[in-house]
Amino acid sequence: MANILEVKDLCKTYVVNKRQNNVLKNVSFEIEAGDMVAIMGPSGSGKSTLLYTVSGMDTPTSGRVLFDGRDLTSLKANELASVRLNDMGFIFQQMYMVKNLTILDNILLPAMEGKKENESRKDKVNRAKELMRKLSIIDIADNDINEVSGGQLQRACICRSMINKPKLLFADEPTGALNRAASAEVMDELVKLNQEGTTIMMVTHDAKVAAKCKRVLYFVDGNIKGEYVAPVDEELSLADKERRLNNWLMDLGW
Amino acid sequence: MYLNILKRDLKRKKTMNIILLLFTILASIFVASGLSNVVTIMNGTDYFLDKAGIGDYVVITQNGNGGVLDLLKESKNVENYRMENCYWATKDNIKINNSSLKNENNTLVIQSIANKGIRYFLPDNSELTEINKGEIYVPASFLEKNAVKIGDKLQINLQDLNVEVTIAGEFKDALLGSDMMKSTRLIISEEDYKVFDQNEKMKPYQGCLYYIDTNNEKELTSELAQLSNILFNSGRSTIKLSYVMEMIVAMIVLVLSICLIIVAFVILKFVITFSIIEEFREIGVMKAIGIGNRKIRSLYIIKYFFIAIVGGIIGFIISIPFGSMLIKSVSQKMVLGNDSGIMLNIIGSLIVIGLMVGFTYLCTSKVKKFSPVDAIRNGETGERYKKKSLYSLSKAHTNPAMYMAINDVLSSHKRFITIILSFFLSSVFVFGLVLVVDTMKSKNLITVFGKESDIYITDSKIMNIELLGQEGNENLEEKYKEIEKDLADNGMPGQVSMEVWFKYNCYVDSKFYALTFQQNTKSKASDYEYIEGFAPEKVNEIAITPQISNKIGAKIGDIITIDFGVEKMDCMVVGYFQSMNQIGEVIRLHEDAPTSMEHAIAMMAFQIDFDDNPNEKEINKRIERIKELYAIEEVYDAAGYCTNTVGVIGTLEAVGLLLLIITCIVVVLVTVLMERSFISDETGKIALLKALGFKDRFILKWHIYRFMLVGILAEILAVALTVPITKLWCDPIWRMMGALKIKYCFNPLCLLVIYPGIILIITFAAVTITALYTKKISSRDMGNIE
Repeated sequence: MANILEVKDLCKTYVVNKRQNNVLKNVSFEIEAGDMVAIMGPSGSGKSTLLYTVSGMDTPTSGRVLFDGRDLTSLKANELASVRLNDMGFIFQQMYMVKNLTILDNILLPAMEGKKENESRKDKVNRAKELMRKLSIIDIADNDINEVSGGQLQRACICRSMINKPKLLFADEPTGALNRAASAEVMDELVKLNQEGTTIMMVTHDAKVAAKCKRVLYFVDGNIKGEYVAPVDEELSLADKERRLNNWLMDLGW
Repeated sequence: MYLNILKRDLKRKKTMNIILLLFTILASIFVASGLSNVVTIMNGTDYFLDKAGIGDYVVITQNGNGGVLDLLKESKNVENYRMENCYWATKDNIKINNSSLKNENNTLVIQSIANKGIRYFLPDNSELTEINKGEIYVPASFLEKNAVKIGDKLQINLQDLNVEVTIAGEFKDALLGSDMMKSTRLIISEEDYKVFDQNEKMKPYQGCLYYIDTNNEKELTSELAQLSNILFNSGRSTIKLSYVMEMIVAMIVLVLSICLIIVAFVILKFVITFSIIEEFREIGVMKAIGIGNRKIRSLYIIKYFFIAIVGGIIGFIISIPFGSMLIKSVSQKMVLGNDSGIMLNIIGSLIVIGLMVGFTYLCTSKVKKFSPVDAIRNGETGERYKKKSLYSLSKAHTNPAMYMAINDVLSSHKRFITIILSFFLSSVFVFGLVLVVDTMKSKNLITVFGKESDIYITDSKIMNIELLGQEGNENLEEKYKEIEKDLADNGMPGQVSMEVWFKYNCYVDSKFYALTFQQNTKSKASDYEYIEGFAPEKVNEIAITPQISNKIGAKIGDIITIDFGVEKMDCMVVGYFQSMNQIGEVIRLHEDAPTSMEHAIAMMAFQIDFDDNPNEKEINKRIERIKELYAIEEVYDAAGYCTNTVGVIGTLEAVGLLLLIITCIVVVLVTVLMERSFISDETGKIALLKALGFKDRFILKWHIYRFMLVGILAEILAVALTVPITKLWCDPIWRMMGALKIKYCFNPLCLLVIYPGIILIITFAAVTITALYTKKISSRDMGNIE
């Protein structure tokens, strides 16, 4: 399968109080279309910075990021915004939503501004509702964001991230603020989306979550220390997958 | 420790704290200057008249003193009096730099500085005490009207006696300073005055002014009624009323000051509430770790008290020149002031400081109602659930940026009502003033001055003084025929008439009065408008104004005996009419009443009614032709005549412009500060939208649409309520001037397009420039989201 994302020698440096902090050091990797990749590593290793840099939310100090054949590092701010709106989806740990909009309106907002599909307003609304039905949150369409649980809110964020049929979905600790049950629900939805063809790149601390991904990149001190490819044996239970991953991580010093 | 918390808070939330400080300064400026101006204006004319030493009663004579001096010496109703001698002149007796005065229609009063009976004031409100030989002091209105300046040479020629003087300065005249008195005082040195005084030929031009302290105005009026040669005699209340036009302007400044005070408080309350709401999470954390309610509240009260002190002091300092600037626009002719000095400014600033602390105390009272968890989790109002959005994107038919704008206004209406109220208050008085000025410039006022005609001639070249006096009746008839012939010969056939004012003695219930009467012998009394009853149809019928009715106690059906000189006639009151002539104290006579120009005191204008009913365009052409025909300037249509008669329009327009500038400044300040505080509050939201791929242009449009929506709403409200609100504050002023019912002239171009347009353009510019700040917010700032 073709690569949806190619990262070559990516560097990101922050200057704070005249001191340089090299957060990303010559990072290189690829993600194929249909992949589900987890980025794991200790706190402060640069995982979230990697996510924001490859998604165009932050500008790299050097290196190249090729998204669907386009060099994101050469695009202007408006062009990057357009790519993020129409071709990428985002799920954040804190389930950021616009406060004074309902759940449905929050999901619809990117669709109304997006220019990808030649759809009528009614069609966009129907598509949003369809997504909500799929993720079993259609009942809370007219609720305010304060009136729903964390799990429901994160599923709404997933719907929002999917509304413009993105080529790549970025998730930054999507289960970080959820309890165990809600985490499992959200991960199941993400796996389903991936099985339907959505490419996912997520940052996570949780081995249980990473175990559901096809690949895991172990990130330490601004670079990839190792790559784990999940076994394709479908008879292997989730617990076994998790065990194997944990062993691999421990070998790397996790 | 708490001082450290305060220091860090001031440093960390720099933007909001600066915004709050700026609003405090604004509030302090408006309240401090407003309070001072309110007191100053409420003191108003009384302050000026007292400072000048006008006394309780004033008498002005011509042709000598006519026995007034002897009466004053003997009357038991006179406690004290001061006297001034003067010479009467017209514009034909004066030249400026050897050119005639074109625009001066007032009677001129020439006086010596050595013989002053009252105090005169220089522009800086110090007293005028000396004038050197060869110099003259004139009122500011004389300089303006005749387009002359200090340093110009004035040539006075009376009975071939010539004096040349240089205009050395301007002064404020408490008695004759108002345009309504129709006289202008010019003061020269004692040496120059003697040139006229030592010549017997000047006796017919002599006059006297008496300033009398009396304990019985009515009795004194009765005593004076027996005397001839009195041009004017009236109590202080009439002199105060003569400043009513200037006081309109002062009242407008007062109302503006009050509006600015209200705007300041509304904005301040909002900003304090808003900034405390921002800190609910911090309050929750403090409660969670065990800090008591009182300590938490005191922390915020101290912070806002500190900001209030700094803002209050800065605002107080700026309020002094700001207040002076506002008052200056009305005090060109008057000495306005109060004896409190800057105390009122200090009190105003203290009020703002007190109110800020009070608002803070009230806003933080919610702290004790909620548990730490509520405060941390929900912030804002402490309520668990927010109201549902009223307007759904799924049902909206606008673009997303407009939707966001409308949704914000509907879901956070409190903050936007604050903005709407501020814009509305600032705009509605500007519009009201425009409405009043347009009304004064229109012909809507003509019926309170007389009757409507096509053209009015007021130039003194035509309306010469020889028409008054013993042979005035014949002279007037000749003049009518002369003008009618000239018009007919030039293809403009029409009827010429004139309204003349007379002074006659009359008796009501055996009480004696000397009153002013109006008559137009060439027009029927029924050509004029009446508010109740009928027009006089018989010679012995009259119509009176409500003011006269109150003064003499006469109503419709009552009899007034008028002494016309040739006969005494019992006349019945048959109707009421409204008039701004003589501030409403006039009586209308039947066109055939036996009047004589010998008793005439004033002529209004030659009025021309064309036979062929020309349209407006044709009338304007004929005005130019008449100007050419007689080589005169003062020829007007009905609207022009109203403008000329009202006289204060120039000042009102200047005040209107000042009001507009102040409104624009308030709008810019409110827009910039509110928008900046919104951006500060919405940093996380903006960052989220940018992260999701919304462009800077979308954010900009959303913010601009939002402010423009409330701006447009405020302007629509202001325009819609302009007429009723203007009626509220202006109708009492019209009533004071004699007009009970005025039809306002709503100029759609000004009030629907120009003025709201200016305010909206300013709003657009201010919000656009401020909203550009959102470009600096990046996706990384998502951490700021609630």
